[in-house]
This record gives sequence, C-alpha cells and structure tokens, in this order.
Amino acid sequence: MEHKELDRMVEIIDHEIKKQGISRRDAMKMAAAGSAAFMMGGTSASAATTAHAGDVKGKILIVGGGLAGISTAARLTNTLSNPDITVVEPTDTSVSYQPGQTLVGAGLWQKSDITYQTKDFVPSGVKMIKDKVVEFNPDNNKVKLASGKEIAYDFMIVAAGVMLDFGKINGLEGVITSSGENSSARKIVGKNGISSIYFADGAVDTWANMQKFIEDAKGGKKVKGVFTHPNTPIKCGGAPKKIMYLTDARLREAGARENADLTFYPNGSKMFGVTEYHNAITRQFEDRNMQWNYRHNLISVDSAKKTATFNRHWKEKGPWDEDLEEYSIVMNSKEVEVPYDFLHITPPMKAPDEIAKSPIGSAKGWVPVTKETLQHIKYPNVFSLGDIAAVPMGKTGGSARKQYKVVVENLISQANGKELKSKYAGYTVCPLITSIGTVMLAEFNWTKKPTPSFPFDPTQERWMWWLLKYYALKPMTVYGMLSGRA
Amino acid sequence: MKKINIAILSAATALFLVGCGGTPDAGEAISYSKTPKEVYDQSCKKCHGDKGEGNVKKKSPALNDRQSQELELDLYDVKNGGLNQSSGTDHDVMEHNMQKLIQKGYDYDPKAMAEFLEKSFYKNGVKAAPKVEETPAEVPTTTETATDANATVAAPAEEAKPQ
Repeated sequence: MEHKELDRMVEIIDHEIKKQGISRRDAMKMAAAGSAAFMMGGTSASAATTAHAGDVKGKILIVGGGLAGISTAARLTNTLSNPDITVVEPTDTSVSYQPGQTLVGAGLWQKSDITYQTKDFVPSGVKMIKDKVVEFNPDNNKVKLASGKEIAYDFMIVAAGVMLDFGKINGLEGVITSSGENSSARKIVGKNGISSIYFADGAVDTWANMQKFIEDAKGGKKVKGVFTHPNTPIKCGGAPKKIMYLTDARLREAGARENADLTFYPNGSKMFGVTEYHNAITRQFEDRNMQWNYRHNLISVDSAKKTATFNRHWKEKGPWDEDLEEYSIVMNSKEVEVPYDFLHITPPMKAPDEIAKSPIGSAKGWVPVTKETLQHIKYPNVFSLGDIAAVPMGKTGGSARKQYKVVVENLISQANGKELKSKYAGYTVCPLITSIGTVMLAEFNWTKKPTPSFPFDPTQERWMWWLLKYYALKPMTVYGMLSGRA
Repeated sequence: MKKINIAILSAATALFLVGCGGTPDAGEAISYSKTPKEVYDQSCKKCHGDKGEGNVKKKSPALNDRQSQELELDLYDVKNGGLNQSSGTDHDVMEHNMQKLIQKGYDYDPKAMAEFLEKSFYKNGVKAAPKVEETPAEVPTTTETATDANATVAAPAEEAKPQ
C-alpha cells in the first residue's frame, strides 16, 4: 500500500475519532471488538456441531478446493474422528483471497497480497488431487476425472466455483476462473482501457488502465468511464459498484474528477435488492456525481473503436389480457452504443458445463439444493455450497462462511440417519467500498431486510467498516475460515 | 498504523478459539388469505395450464418440469425482482403481473406454492430427497393430476443412502 493512502486513511480515522470524541486507542478497541462480533455473530447455523453429534464412516469427496471447499474439509477434519476426505481441485492458488481483487484493481493492494497457495491450507489427513471432475455419476456415487481416473464416494460436497463467461460478449473471448488459466480472456481484457477485477490478473491490469484513465483526465481530456453488470447471477454483487466508487476516489485524489464522466450500466433496474441499501447507494451515487442507466446488458465490445454495445430493454403496455384482467406488459429492446475510455466489465457468469449438464446440475446450471439445508434435491448424499449452489443472493465469501458449517452439520446428520436440523437463512454480506477509507457494511438475508451484526445504522458509510474490510477480513477469512473455525 | 494491525489481528486470532453463535432467523411471518391450491385454481391455471404444462402462445412457462426447490427460486425471483443486486430478473413480465395479482388477493408463500406445484404436477419424478421424520412424498391428491397420463408419481423417499 502506498504511503499516500495510509496517510489519508489515518487522517480520515483521526477526523472521525475526533468527531466522536473518543481516543484512537478506544476506537481501535471498538474496531477489534466489532470485527470479533462480526465473525461470531450472524443469523445462520448454530454452532452446535460437536464431537458428539455423530461420526461419518465412508469416503467424503469434495469437488472444488476454493474457500468453500477447503473450509468445509477443515471443519470436517476438526469435527470427525479419522475422516476419509478427498478434495479435487485443478488450480494451485484456488484459495486466493478474491474479495481483495477490488483493492488490487484500485492500486491499494498488490496481487501478492491476495495470492495464497492451496497446499498451505490443506488440513492434515485430507487427500488433495490436482485434477478436475469431468463426469458426475451420482446414481452410482462415482465421478470421473480429466485424467480418466474414477473416484467413488459415499458423500459428495460440490463446492466448485463459477465460470467467468467473457466469451459470451461479442468481441471478447474466454471462459475462465478467478485464479486459473486466463490467456484467452486476456487477449483483449486488460488492454486499451478494457478491465475486469473479476480475475486476479485482470485486477492488476485494471489498475494499469485506471492510472492511464486518471492521467488523461488530469491532462485535461474529457474522459468516460463505463461500468457494467450482466444479466446473470454474479459473485460479489457489490464489486461492479465498488470499483466505480474507487475510480471516483482515485480521480478525486488526483484532482481530476471534473474531467471524467462515470456511468453504471446494470442489466437490472435497481442498485440493491434490499430497499434500505438501494436508497443509500443511489444517494451516494448522487453525492459523487456518478451516473447510472438501468436495464442495459453489455453484448458487444469494439476495442478498436472503444465502444461498448448494450441491449437496452424496457417494459411496454401491451394488449388487454383477459386472464390477468389487466393490460399485459410486453418487453421491448434496442441496441445502444456507448463510447468509453475506461470500461469495467463484470462478465456474465455460469456454472461449469460439466456440472450444469450433469445429473447434479439444473436447467440454469447451478446445483439445485434445498436452500436451507444445502442438500441436493435429488441425491441425499450430495450437498453443495458456495458459488455453484443454487441459492438466492449468495455467491460471496460471507455466504460461504455461513454455509460450510450448515453443510458439515447436515452431512453428519444425514450419515447418522437424523433430521437435517441446521438451516442456512440466506445471510450474506457486502462490504460496499464507497471510497478510500469508507465502507457500507450491507448485511442481509432472504427476508430482504438489513440484518446488521452491529447496533449501528447499516446504511451509513463508516471508516470502521473500512478497517474491517482493509485489515481484518482477510486474516479472518484466510486463517479463520480456511481452518474451519470462523 | 502498526498498532491498528496488531489490535485487529489479535481480535482475529481470538476468533480462532470461538465458534459461531446465533439462531436461525426465520424471517417475518406473513399470512395468506388463500391456499396455494386456491391461488393456482383461481388464477395461475389460466395461463400456466390445468396441469402446469404452460402455454407457448401466452409465453407462460411450464411449471411441471422442476422440483419444488427449483420452482421456489423462480417464484422467489418473481416476487422479489431478482436475486442479485443489479442483475435484474429472468421474469420481467411475470414480476409485473405478480404485483397486479397480489393486489387482487392472489398472494402466496413461494415455498408452499412450489411444494404444491411439485406435488400436483411434477412429471419427471425420479427420486425425492428424503425428508427425515416427515411423511414420505404423497401421492398427488388433486383430481387433475390423478388423471394425468404423463404424471409419474414421485418415488417415496428413499432411505438415507450410505450409512
């Protein structure tokens, strides 16, 4: 981290602390206590998993060794006596800290700050296989790996991730993962202002592109920044906005904000599914003179012309519908071409084909589970969590942090013929970075109401959450979650 | 600045020793004036068909090809306008219609409706996830389904597989 940001942060913190009339020492205590409460509290699984809950005999196969898969493996290892656990994961750095990619994209962290080697986090006794499952045969409790090897299991936990489908956008290529091989996507993404923080190398390139963008603005050029959000479920629903807030902050820091137009083009028609957060975000956008155009889905990028083409769609009044006893609504759309200097792409995301099209997949691709128990809807000895699971609103590390405990408890219950009592309530969290030094900690669940862990107004931007995001969440995730304890 | 790091990291370290507390949040209780069957028979049926088979002409999708957990996600989407911050919804038109239908009293709990739809219309029943300590999947009760030649009754809950 550069000293400039450090100094600025300390300045902000001191200013805030003074405003509240407390000492810095007390403030730090509060932040620490707050962080502790954050990791412990929440609205989902009771931690009642105990050594006496029952044991699991038989082979447990975990497909995917990212944050969700390794945390689950670790908790099973902590909980069971002498478990037989195998994890299949193709990427060496699968446990890298993806939430930090936003900070890398804005030049606040380095890629080395977020890169972690999976082998360093494999719980003792767990067998890691560097390979990929290419065929699922759940009726016979078997999978086949790319190497041709077959693995039989008694229980399977599907904790694979999402595919970033850049290739779905005309002019771009590649279906990649966050920390895996990405040369296809990088042919175009990362150069000439085209950026994406959704993969680690892309985040590094984003910072290079952003610096150029800011230099141009500083030199007096009128520049346009365009930020997209696709029509698919995505991981970390806040990241498309966070990188925009940070671009705004970097432009202000450079004294060049007035030369830049920043516009958000989401496919949807709101900022956030939770009204309170939606209202807070629109207010923050207005305060920063950041623009938005709803109902725009990116379909094409012309890197030579520097234009992005969107499908703009809207509802129109249609003919009278006798069944509905109302005028019907019909969809209409047209293509809109938008010039850019800096384009941040949030790619469409999908389940890997080998899962989506297998018997454990679904029409939409995601692994269908009972959303509370995380048990597969067809195969009782299969569970799923993390980005690949079909649950509403999930796909964050915060969701996985609640889900893996539920999976472990319910798998043990299932193995012992007991009722699956542990329930996931849909908790997820979006520490929405609103500037360098402030974060709005948006926590919510399926009730679509804010579910704050702290007794503060959750719609306010606070420096304390910045401390949480900037300093505490990474060690808590990397050392707390990956060891199966937090 | 180092002090900040130390303070927060020590808090994080302390966490290693503690578990996770809290109780499940069941959400707000909403009561509905009609049962899922009443809502379906009086409203949904007009477009989605007697047996949930859908209506191509009206662009109404079939509801008999998915199990309740998948249906529930779609119904949740229809009622909430999308499952992600700004991704939008797969159900633009139905989202609008649903608001109108709610005004007319045809509101429902997505989970209860999804379970009704699966029980009554699901046609690809292979095997249902066992519901331990609950009654096994019931034979469809509505007369429409009972006469549906295509309907295969969902297999009774299997025993938990490996022990």
